[in-house]
Amino acid sequence: MFDFLEQDTRLASALRILLSTVTVLALWQIVSLFVTNRLLLVPPADVAVSLVQEFWNGALWTNGVATVTAVVSSFLVSVVIGIAIGLALASSRLLSLTGGPVLSALNSVPIIALAPLFVAWLGLGFASKFVLVLMVAVFPVVVTTEAGLRAADKPLIEAARSFNATRWQIFTTVTFPYALPFIVSGIRVAWARALVGIVVAEFFGSFAGFGFAILSASQTFDTARVLGYVFMLGAMGLIGSVSFAALERRLAPWRQE
Amino acid sequence: MTALLRVEGVDKTFKRANKSSVEALRGINITVNEGEFVSIVGASGSGKSTLLRIIDGLLKPSGGDVFVDGKRVVAPGRDRAMVFQQDSLLPWKTVSENVGYGLTLAGRPKAETRKVAERFITMTGLAGFESHYPHQLSGGMRQRVNVARALAVDPRILLLDEPFAALDAQTREIMQTELLSIWQESRKTVLLITHQIDEAVFLSDRVIIFSARPGTVREEVKVDLPRPRTLEMKRTPEFVGLLDRIWKLIEEEVRSGLKDNQ
Repeated sequence: MFDFLEQDTRLASALRILLSTVTVLALWQIVSLFVTNRLLLVPPADVAVSLVQEFWNGALWTNGVATVTAVVSSFLVSVVIGIAIGLALASSRLLSLTGGPVLSALNSVPIIALAPLFVAWLGLGFASKFVLVLMVAVFPVVVTTEAGLRAADKPLIEAARSFNATRWQIFTTVTFPYALPFIVSGIRVAWARALVGIVVAEFFGSFAGFGFAILSASQTFDTARVLGYVFMLGAMGLIGSVSFAALERRLAPWRQE
Repeated sequence: MTALLRVEGVDKTFKRANKSSVEALRGINITVNEGEFVSIVGASGSGKSTLLRIIDGLLKPSGGDVFVDGKRVVAPGRDRAMVFQQDSLLPWKTVSENVGYGLTLAGRPKAETRKVAERFITMTGLAGFESHYPHQLSGGMRQRVNVARALAVDPRILLLDEPFAALDAQTREIMQTELLSIWQESRKTVLLITHQIDEAVFLSDRVIIFSARPGTVREEVKVDLPRPRTLEMKRTPEFVGLLDRIWKLIEEEVRSGLKDNQ
């Protein structure tokens, strides 16, 4: 009877998102009936009220601008740098062999833990946020770009060579289009990481932003405000994830079947 | 008749990572005349695909030379086009774009490319599927695109590397007759690699039989069946007699190949 929800239409997927959101809100509401300590948990309605208040007093806008400008600009730069490094690694075996271990070492270090250091070096505000987000978001793009470029189908490359393709033509008509969906999946991971990065950066050193607002609200035990801003971050994550996943499907429709 | 393709004393030895080497081809001499349809059959491991890649210019021979119309082959060129066994079509391009791929790479104008693609799409029975993507097509349809793509660059010689090996038996028979009518229409010179003896006999003017490990030319059989050929001919005594003769020539090789793999 719920067959229509499994369909691959825009309406069905919108309904699915609506259904899961409503379910979560309902569960939340039920749990908050039993957990009555408002320091621990507030019902969804209170969170909504708190968000509306933040909107009217302008705090939501101020914090939103601070967070979004930092995270989006840093995210875009990390995508560009990540693709560039991935291209370099894929095109040179020597570079990949020598630079690869360094990159994976850097990737396994919890860079988030260095946030206080970045703040000490770069001060409170945009610069330290920008660099921290860049450091966490760049690696997934590097890794998937290199992997995607190396994954290109050998028979496709052979066919291109057979048709007299130059190295550049093989790159533009085979290797790069083949790698694109890989790269986009790396970008999707990078966006999720960037959001974590921005919140941590704002915890440690900033005067505005969602992370800053969450920290200051929790210091005054304003749980509704904390959850309100967490909700905003969740929405940003969801929008990014859904749109990059859609882009991946569009770039590689042949993978579905 | 003039020899369009001459393979002269071609050897190929592959070096392996552990310093050992494998001799794939030894002293291959083949000529193919203008307009001729020639097949090479042989057991697996007889190096016939390697030879085709050398003729196409994708691989360099260890010794000997390949000449097309008197010019020595050093790299892939516009006078040859290859149809691969696996469908090596670009999955993100439509049928029409895939057929025009060779022309696009050659930098021909878009309008011309589209017009040429259209002609070969019609010739290979793909009309109506121009804007489909490869994953939306059956295996047989994808191989038609492969053939059309090779024809579109207007090569002197069409090189076919077991083009129907991945297809089911019925589709393969249909594709064989279609290939014949395309060949009759386009008057291309064709060199076909196959392990299907009946396919080789049905299509060709001459069948060259390879022995295995290293691949050498074992024998050449002329096919005198009249043209145009029909599927019914496959049941005539002449046809079956040819199959028998060729099978006897390679049976031993196939059997020893089976033992090697055990």
